[in-house]
Amino acid sequence: MDEVKRPKRKKKNQVPAGIVLLIIVIAVGIVLAGISSMLSIYWIFGISFGFVLQKSRFCFTASLRDPVLTGSTSLTRAVIVALMLATIGFAAVQYSAVSKELPVPGNIAPAGIFTAIGATMFGIGMVIAGGCASGTLMRVGEGFVQQCIALLFFIIGSMWGAHDYGWWADTFFSKAPTIFLPDLLGWAPALFGQLIVLAILFLIAEWYENKKLGSEEE
Amino acid sequence: MAEYRLDCLGEACPVPLIKTQKKMEQLKVGDTLIVEIDHSCAMKNVPEWARKVGYNVEIEEVDDGEWEIYIEKTK
Amino acid sequence: MNLINSPWYKRIFKDAWSYWTGAILLATLNTAMVAISGKGWGVTTTFAYWGAWILQLFGADVSGWNFFQLEANSKALGQSVFTNTGSVQNIGIIVGALLATLLASQFKIKKLKSYKQFIAAALGGLLMGYGARIAFGCNIGAFFSGIASMSVHGWVYAIFIFLGAWIGSKLLVRYFMT
Repeated sequence: MDEVKRPKRKKKNQVPAGIVLLIIVIAVGIVLAGISSMLSIYWIFGISFGFVLQKSRFCFTASLRDPVLTGSTSLTRAVIVALMLATIGFAAVQYSAVSKELPVPGNIAPAGIFTAIGATMFGIGMVIAGGCASGTLMRVGEGFVQQCIALLFFIIGSMWGAHDYGWWADTFFSKAPTIFLPDLLGWAPALFGQLIVLAILFLIAEWYENKKLGSEEE
Repeated sequence: MAEYRLDCLGEACPVPLIKTQKKMEQLKVGDTLIVEIDHSCAMKNVPEWARKVGYNVEIEEVDDGEWEIYIEKTK
Repeated sequence: MNLINSPWYKRIFKDAWSYWTGAILLATLNTAMVAISGKGWGVTTTFAYWGAWILQLFGADVSGWNFFQLEANSKALGQSVFTNTGSVQNIGIIVGALLATLLASQFKIKKLKSYKQFIAAALGGLLMGYGARIAFGCNIGAFFSGIASMSVHGWVYAIFIFLGAWIGSKLLVRYFMT
């Protein structure tokens, strides 16, 4: 990281406001814990996700867009690393649940033409709105008016989608397969196969950036 | 050895980076571009790109949430 | 305040962290989440609840919609922002980002620069909202958590969100750049 130079102008110090907010965050956590412990846990998760996303400027939108637009893949590679680590973590949780004959934890849903259509819509939307779901929320917190508007229309779009959900469900969801890779391939091939695919994607991303931006370093 | 300014205040990603890339192409070797930004992500990806292509980069925080990125075209 | 000048403050609160740090922490948090709740991190289902609560405020009844007859969703109709876990989490993301920004002393309200940004945000928001409903999630619930869960829908999602991002990039440069 470059050294960020000291400012010429005298700036306001916002840290005291930050400390006040931190106290409020803790107070809200305590109040929520009084209602249910799960609520305060989700509160802590939300705060942590927001904090980490902002501090590391982690942006899923950029990870998918920058290769096309600017040739940079540093975020793409970071997302791939996150996917690899989360795959290992999730697999451990899933395996222990399955070995106790509990239902498989995680986000496992049907796949079909609707996934393709929805994901394409989502991809277009996040690039032009300047942020995905988590990115929009994070940027509302950073003070972007544009993302406040995006969030408002995101909610309207969600309602629209929820309204049409019945039609999609009747037409497609009921016939679509829900595939959990370890069921299809076995645990070891699914887990290691996925990790290998992700590792290959990582190497391709690295090669692509070096080719695009023409750098020999790294 | 001219100095140019590029106002990207209020622009969201990836616009500041695209504009910077375009502008840098027009500059001569030795010129400096000062990019004004207030997008916290651009404050990271613009310098990162410039360093990757081999330019000299300096960042200055001029106000709360506002930065100026100095990019010198070295080649 | 001497604390502000300390190298530790600068490293943790002032400077941006590396993308890799973000990747490791997000993967850890998401794993913790699935271990505790049985579900990976997701964001957008809650947006449909927010919409439903707003409609309910105006007296509309959405409980007949197929989407709100699913068990988890019908339960959410009776909840509020303060009693629904997803809502608490999403508001937490906003507040967490605000907290990080303030502690770095970098908060600034960024106003719209042109009407194009409004149109881009509105159109983008609608596309994301609708798209996430019919594809069982957003870039978090379906892409990040879906792939981590080794579900095929996560991989299908990945291919097409990339395609969408490519189309979106072309549209952005052509129509929405000021």
